[in-house]
Amino acid sequence: MIQILTGIQNTSAALDAEQTRLEVISQNIANAHTTHDVDGKPYQRRVVVFETALQNALAGGPASGNLPAIQVAKIERDTRPPMEEYDPGNPEADARGMVSSPNINIHEEMADLISASRTYEANLAVVKNARSMALQTLSIGRH
Amino acid sequence: MSPLSSIPAYSANLLSQIDRLPGKSGDVAQPSALPAATPADSSSFSSLLGKMVSEVNAQQQSSAQSVNALQSGANVPLHQAVISMEEASVSFQLMVEVRNRLLESYQEIMRMTM
Repeated sequence: MIQILTGIQNTSAALDAEQTRLEVISQNIANAHTTHDVDGKPYQRRVVVFETALQNALAGGPASGNLPAIQVAKIERDTRPPMEEYDPGNPEADARGMVSSPNINIHEEMADLISASRTYEANLAVVKNARSMALQTLSIGRH
Repeated sequence: MSPLSSIPAYSANLLSQIDRLPGKSGDVAQPSALPAATPADSSSFSSLLGKMVSEVNAQQQSSAQSVNALQSGANVPLHQAVISMEEASVSFQLMVEVRNRLLESYQEIMRMTM
C-alpha cells in the first residue's frame, strides 16, 4: 500500500489514545457522585496511563513492524482517599453520619478535559498539515 | 550531437508506452475488476500504472469499508474513517496528476510538426 500521508500512523494512534482519555474523563465526571461502585465502596477516580509502543517493539511484540507512537498502557484507580461529608439522612451514611463520596474534583476533571481536547486538536492539525503538504507536493511543476 | 537528434527514438518509446496503457483497447473495466499486475511484465510501464490504479482503488475501497463500519455501529473511531478517506482522496489526486502529465506529453508529441 502506498504511504501517501507520512507520519499519519503515529498521529492516528495518538488520536486513539486521546479518545480513550476523553472517555475516562467523561466516566469520572458521570460518576462524580457515585457512592456505591461495583465493589461496594465509593467510586474511585480513574487515570489513563500512556506509554510509547517502543517497549513493545523491544520485547519483540506485534507492534515491532509498524510503530505507533503512543498507546494506552492501563487505566488505573486514583489512590487518593474518598471525600467525606456529613449527611446523616443518607442511606450510605456510617455511624458518625459521614458519607464517603468519590475522590473526584470536578474542576480538576474539567481541566483534564480541556487538556485532552487540546491535544486531540493538535493531532488533528498534524493530519491537516500532512494533507496540505502532500497536495502541495503534487502540484510541483504545475503551471 | 544535437539535442534534437534523440527525439525520434524518444517519441517512439513514449508512443509504445502509451499504446500499452490499460483500457486503451476498448471496453472500460469496472474499478473492482482491475487486473492485478502479473510478475511476468512487472517492468513494463503499463503494468506499473495498472498496479498504481489498483492500489488507489484498494485504498478507496478500504476507506468506503471503514465509513460503512462506522455507520453500521462497529467500533471504528471517527478519525480513522476520516483519515482513510483523506488518504484515498490524496492518492486519487496523485493518480490524476500522473494521468495529466502523460496526456500532456502525448499532446506535445501530437502537436509536433513532421
